[in-house]
Amino acid sequence: MSFNIEEGRYIILGSIDGLLATLGIIMGVSVVSASNAVIVSAAFGGAIALALTNGLGSYLAESTIEHGKLAITEKSLLRKLNNTYVESQSRRKIAKDAISSGGASFIGSLIPLAPWIFSVGSVAASVGLSLISLVALGIYSAYISRQSYAISVVKMVGLGTLIVIAVQLLRIGHLVQ
Amino acid sequence: MSQIKRLVLDVLKPHEPTNVEVASAIGDIRDVDGVNLSLYEVDQQTENVKITVEGIDVDYDLVLQTIENLGGVVHSVDEIIAGKKIVEEEETLHDRG
Repeated sequence: MSFNIEEGRYIILGSIDGLLATLGIIMGVSVVSASNAVIVSAAFGGAIALALTNGLGSYLAESTIEHGKLAITEKSLLRKLNNTYVESQSRRKIAKDAISSGGASFIGSLIPLAPWIFSVGSVAASVGLSLISLVALGIYSAYISRQSYAISVVKMVGLGTLIVIAVQLLRIGHLVQ
Repeated sequence: MSQIKRLVLDVLKPHEPTNVEVASAIGDIRDVDGVNLSLYEVDQQTENVKITVEGIDVDYDLVLQTIENLGGVVHSVDEIIAGKKIVEEEETLHDRG
């Protein structure tokens, strides 16, 4: 089976989204409650919502783009492409991208949440696991783009660190108030 | 009706599916012995190809259906050889002139 570069787009987007948004929820909720149940409930709810919105959003976006491309091709061919192999491949791509985006988002969300699910939760553990995942994503991104692994990992981890710092500053701001 | 031995079609198709996929799909049609697909023009959205299909008894409707299912349009049927054997076009004085 040949590797399709296009598949990487939604996997990276969805994973980062799920990972960092859920980490943000965990860090934010942990300021007001140390309860494992509260944190798991809030973060899991966020994970489901993120997966659904990412999946549906990708479905709608890809539908629009693919139908647009088909329309341009139909105009050049002076014929409709309904019920053809071409149209079925388009539909397949739309479904695949939606599932990749939503699925990657949900799996990404589970990573910072994992310590809390197993009742060994701490913000530090969630941050640590998330950064390790970002390293893995950076390696995957470099593999697809055929660029420097080091630069790709630094970019990915750098982005994640910025977001952690931003959320941490908001937490500190809340505590100061 | 006599059997079609060779068809030469001028086809306009989108870039996807690829020419390899189109040739393979036509080659898989029953009674088709061989396919020659050559590209002679490309633009941003489409490409023009010449498709030569040979077989014992080529089903034109099936070939047409396959091409259309893959998004192609048959612009013209440039050559047909039908009958019991393959008869090549003969060059006449008119052609040489």
